[in-house]
Amino acid sequence: MRAGKYLKWVICFTVAALFFAGCAAVQEKLGSLKITKSDADAIVKTTKALRKSFSEITEEEEYYIGRAVAALILSKYKVYQNSKLTAYVNQVGNAVTVYSDRPETFAGYHFLILDSSEVNALAAPGGFVFVTKGLLKRCKNEEMLGCILAHEVGHVSAKHGLQSIKKSRLIDAFKVIGQEVGKKYGPQELAQLTEVFENVLGDIAEKLIERGYDRKYEYEADRLGIRFAAKTGYAPGGLLDFLKTMSDEAGEGSDKGWYKTHPAPQDRLKRAEKELGKLNTIPSIQKVRTTRFNQATRTLK
Amino acid sequence: MKKKLSLKVLLLGVLVVFVGIILAESLIIKVKTTSLKKEPVFYSDTVAVLNNGEQVEKIGEQQGWYKVRTQKGQEGWLHSSAVQEKKFFLFAMNKQVKSQASAEEVALAGKGFNKQVEEKYKANNPSLSFVVVDRMLKLKVTPRQLKSFLEKGKLGEFGGGQ
Repeated sequence: MRAGKYLKWVICFTVAALFFAGCAAVQEKLGSLKITKSDADAIVKTTKALRKSFSEITEEEEYYIGRAVAALILSKYKVYQNSKLTAYVNQVGNAVTVYSDRPETFAGYHFLILDSSEVNALAAPGGFVFVTKGLLKRCKNEEMLGCILAHEVGHVSAKHGLQSIKKSRLIDAFKVIGQEVGKKYGPQELAQLTEVFENVLGDIAEKLIERGYDRKYEYEADRLGIRFAAKTGYAPGGLLDFLKTMSDEAGEGSDKGWYKTHPAPQDRLKRAEKELGKLNTIPSIQKVRTTRFNQATRTLK
Repeated sequence: MKKKLSLKVLLLGVLVVFVGIILAESLIIKVKTTSLKKEPVFYSDTVAVLNNGEQVEKIGEQQGWYKVRTQKGQEGWLHSSAVQEKKFFLFAMNKQVKSQASAEEVALAGKGFNKQVEEKYKANNPSLSFVVVDRMLKLKVTPRQLKSFLEKGKLGEFGGGQ
């Protein structure tokens, strides 16, 4: 009797062990092929259209799209040469990114100042963020700058640039990509894919530079920006202060840059105030930060 | 009786460990490079630098960070935004598959919009300059600079961060 019970346990164990070992062996075999069951399913779907949405764009592709969008922005604006101020803006920007929903992108976040008196801030996919000299001049403290950069990081984090791409582009792209893996593109494939790439950039540039993102994306970036800024420790009211400044100035060059690409500051203010009310704790402005902001922007001309 | 019980416990223990090994979750680095951190904070010391496509084993989790073990046996923390999960399918079957690529494979093979496409795009648009973009990519904040900036500005864990 005792021997029977003992035997039963040994058999149970052996069967279970063999079952899992079998699964492992199958997985290992598939692993060596670098194909899992999900890959197999995905491959079957590929023939229809795998890339139905922007979320199918890989991190590396987002990086290459972002690079080209950044190059397009830089063809319209000159860079403001001030290494100390640029380093400071990068420190504020990086502080905010580490407390955001997406601290890491393919090649990280990088911030650059554009030599323009126009007020504007732009974020290309993947984390290429630009602010104009005109915008920096409107900031009175580090809180305001931190909140604006947090809003831009919100655009990158929520992939608003990629969401501006028309769906048909992704299907076009995958028709070219979904062939063999591990070889370079032939001239015809490359020409086709580059055309799709140019159309993708056109979709993003039209929104980002020319017309502005959809209002819902701007409001979402405000929401995210307020949250990221507060998590970093910046007084999130900095965004409201900036919006008030912009609202007071409306009329002066209000057909350019920021005014052209963003919803009216009054509309954003109301929503931002509501968001602020949802926070558990609201960090306050710190004198030490305002002092270093004043020092860093002293050379701003 | 005691002996029988300890045998059961032993067998169960071995089974649990065995299943644990099989179900260990693999993560793939999806960013160009990332730092394996000693502690789950961005300004922590770097244990190792990991590259795109490398696989690590997840051994723990904490507020958006994964504790991982590299193939070389180094342990440390990676932020969840730097990795994608490689799912383990217990009932995976060796089906015959077509030679087309999945999204994951496209990522691993670096296909899609890549360097080759960028080069062609550059050739089509010679007025566009990527020199400044490359210079922009060199603007970096080191973990030490980040820590000092947060500390002096009473930010994050050093001040009013939530």
